[in-house]
Amino acid sequence: MDIFGSFALVLAFVCAVYAFGGGIAAIFTRHPLLIKSTRQAGMATCALIFLATFSLEYLFFSDNFANAYVVAHSNRDLSTFYKVAALWSGQEGSLLFWSFLLAVYVLSVLITYRNKNGELMPYVGVVMAGVQIFFLTLNNFVASPFKALASPGADGVLNYVARADGSGLNPLLQYPEMVIHPPNLYSGYTGFTIPFAFALGALLARYPGEKWIHLTRKWTMIAWMFQSCGILLGAHWAYAVLGWGGYWGWDPVENASFLPWLTGTAFLHSVMMQEKRGMMKVWNVWLVFCTFLLCILGTFLTRSGIVSSVHAFAQSSIGSWFVGFLVVIISVCLGAYLKNRDYLKSENQLDSIVSRESSFLFNNLILLVSCVAILSGTLFPVFSEWITGNRISVGAPFFNKVNIPIGLLLLFLTGVGPLLAWRKTSTESMKRNFGWPLGIGLIAGVIALVFGFREIYSWVCLILCVFVASTVGLEFYRGAKVIRARSGATYLASAVDLTMRNTRRYGGYIVHMGMVFVFIGLSGAAFNRDLQKDMQVGQTMQIGPYSLLLQGFDSRPEKNYTAQRMLVEVLRDKKPIMMLYPEKRHFATNEQNGTMVAIYSTLKEDLYVVYAGDSPDTQLPVLHAYLNPLVKWIWLGGAVVVFGTLVAMLPNRRAVLVLAGAPQPATQQLTHGLTPSVTMRDGHD
Amino acid sequence: MTKKRSVVAIIMLALFAAMPLLITPAGAQQLSERAKQVGGKFMCMCSCNQVLTGCNHVGCSTSSAMLKELNASLSRGDSEDAITQMFVQEFGTKVYAEPPKSGFSLVAWVLPSVYLFVGTGLVVFVISRWRKRPAIQAAPAGGVPGISAELLERSRAQASRETQD
Repeated sequence: MDIFGSFALVLAFVCAVYAFGGGIAAIFTRHPLLIKSTRQAGMATCALIFLATFSLEYLFFSDNFANAYVVAHSNRDLSTFYKVAALWSGQEGSLLFWSFLLAVYVLSVLITYRNKNGELMPYVGVVMAGVQIFFLTLNNFVASPFKALASPGADGVLNYVARADGSGLNPLLQYPEMVIHPPNLYSGYTGFTIPFAFALGALLARYPGEKWIHLTRKWTMIAWMFQSCGILLGAHWAYAVLGWGGYWGWDPVENASFLPWLTGTAFLHSVMMQEKRGMMKVWNVWLVFCTFLLCILGTFLTRSGIVSSVHAFAQSSIGSWFVGFLVVIISVCLGAYLKNRDYLKSENQLDSIVSRESSFLFNNLILLVSCVAILSGTLFPVFSEWITGNRISVGAPFFNKVNIPIGLLLLFLTGVGPLLAWRKTSTESMKRNFGWPLGIGLIAGVIALVFGFREIYSWVCLILCVFVASTVGLEFYRGAKVIRARSGATYLASAVDLTMRNTRRYGGYIVHMGMVFVFIGLSGAAFNRDLQKDMQVGQTMQIGPYSLLLQGFDSRPEKNYTAQRMLVEVLRDKKPIMMLYPEKRHFATNEQNGTMVAIYSTLKEDLYVVYAGDSPDTQLPVLHAYLNPLVKWIWLGGAVVVFGTLVAMLPNRRAVLVLAGAPQPATQQLTHGLTPSVTMRDGHD
Repeated sequence: MTKKRSVVAIIMLALFAAMPLLITPAGAQQLSERAKQVGGKFMCMCSCNQVLTGCNHVGCSTSSAMLKELNASLSRGDSEDAITQMFVQEFGTKVYAEPPKSGFSLVAWVLPSVYLFVGTGLVVFVISRWRKRPAIQAAPAGGVPGISAELLERSRAQASRETQD
């Protein structure tokens, strides 16, 4: 099967080269058969990558310990569930998985637009094939997952061997979220290839800006949604598995995943300027380019070993391939821009500083400043070592100090932006839109002060969260009120109707609400508490309102590990609430240990309990308990963000205008008895 | 302002203003506040890439040893500078959790402000250029004949786009 997989990868490479070379020839000749054959070569490339990926999965499921990658990342006792995840647990497999996800996107694009946008698609196909060639080069010639296990014999000749069992999967990866976190994150990274291909293709083809923007909007949102999901799932994994009580440590690899998310978010906002006003064309093209470049840069940081990280793969020569690819992309993007920059001229002027346009500019500014600050902080240890000879670490305290004020400014703009009108906002409109939200926010701040809220950033964050939530709520309320007045439906039904009429706008508001929840959760970190104690059976420890009573221990032999559990009873006001079972796990196959945190989670706070080993002084087991306020809001916010993004991707329900006394066409039943006389344009906000 | 709007506003106000009440102070800490504050300024050297007080390796021997050293220094009454010197001598500059605000490291602190100022300058420049751009010429009197069908169609599409949101 490994020969089959290798062969499929080689063929995929050949097809991708044809799709690339043939595609360039097709652009110049416009020969219909050549265009068709290159498109089909692109599809064949994807099919062959699927075959190669399934071959590797088959090797895992069949416990083929003649394959070096399977030996290094699996063992017989590993559950089927984790054998799926073993695919992306190492360098070679994760690069193949990257190619696999990219192939899913490429195939979807090639099928979706096979008979559409004939002028643009050959360019897009060439760019996508170019990216595929790079990853297939790595899969075939640099980090092949299909290498057979071999050892040199006495005569120096390699003898192919098979092991009885494998070394097993890293214990940290044996957690359900590791089965869904990397696919989400990789789907985000690879997904940004599609807007990149469209942007570069459109620039090369001088294709009308509003068309490529419209074509890529959904692809960008899909990639952004996966990236958001991946980041939050990674944070949840770190929280629930690593046992340090936190979810975001500003590790270089975490930062690398966050950077394209920031530029992608900036693009999703500024793209509206181009759609509505024909402005920021250069900016949008470069935002898409930068987002893709940051995806590749992030992969380079993870895999080159240039920055130290708990996530990073071992240092290898693969980094230089990524540097080369980055140089090629930057050169192509720059060349295309310099050649065709006249096509990106803005069509409109700015009428007022107090306008939606300005708010988008400042939103982009803040997102980009945050992105560049995180990037320079992440790379600072490398630069400091190059320049001074001393490697100076940049840890979480630095990133928090820099990014908390930036985040708060962004939260403020999240509330302000949607309430400003396009072109110009009058003073009267500002008073009407901002009066109540601002008032409610400030009153909440005063009440918080009265109740002893003294942490400045959290206090400001609370005020801004209330402000933004109020603005979003007010927007829904006003729209729903108009619909309700005409239809007589309930507020909830009217709000749903409103959302479905303009999914993009109201889906966006739902995403903003999700971000408010995330910020509420983040603000709780200022009040985290923890307590560590050597415990004897029958002893209790008190943290916040909770008493933790150690009732005993047990040991559970599982298929792939042995778990030692603490049996901890949680009491509140002397009343038992629940049992928690923090675990220590020993994986005999690779002689590694792991933890399984126990969490009692409420909207108010998380009681987070870790079995932190045995004390070297007293030989007693150590219980480490954390009280983390509001953490659940982060995960809740993530779910709301995903829901909002999905809503924003839905097509608009056909909207109607009501003219009193107008005749009623047959379509009126669709809209709660409204009288439709003028049909508005569909599918645009 | 209708009565219902006031009720909704008050409910929202009450819900959000109640958030501070969700947070209750916890019990005693094992590490003193001082040790936590000082320990937060150093990285754990076990390769977890976390600050000393937040090492993510359960039962980490490196962080325990470093915390012991820290506690011993604090109980001796060593100053923060002396503790920093001790750790830097032992582990090198990699031990800083954040770059010191002196020498070359100052660059790390200055850069984000530079980005913000340069970015703001750029945005202001862009806005002023956009505002100076001449407005679209008005159509001549009775001017529909002077406007091409293409321009008319584009203008209609633009008007439609800009008035829908």
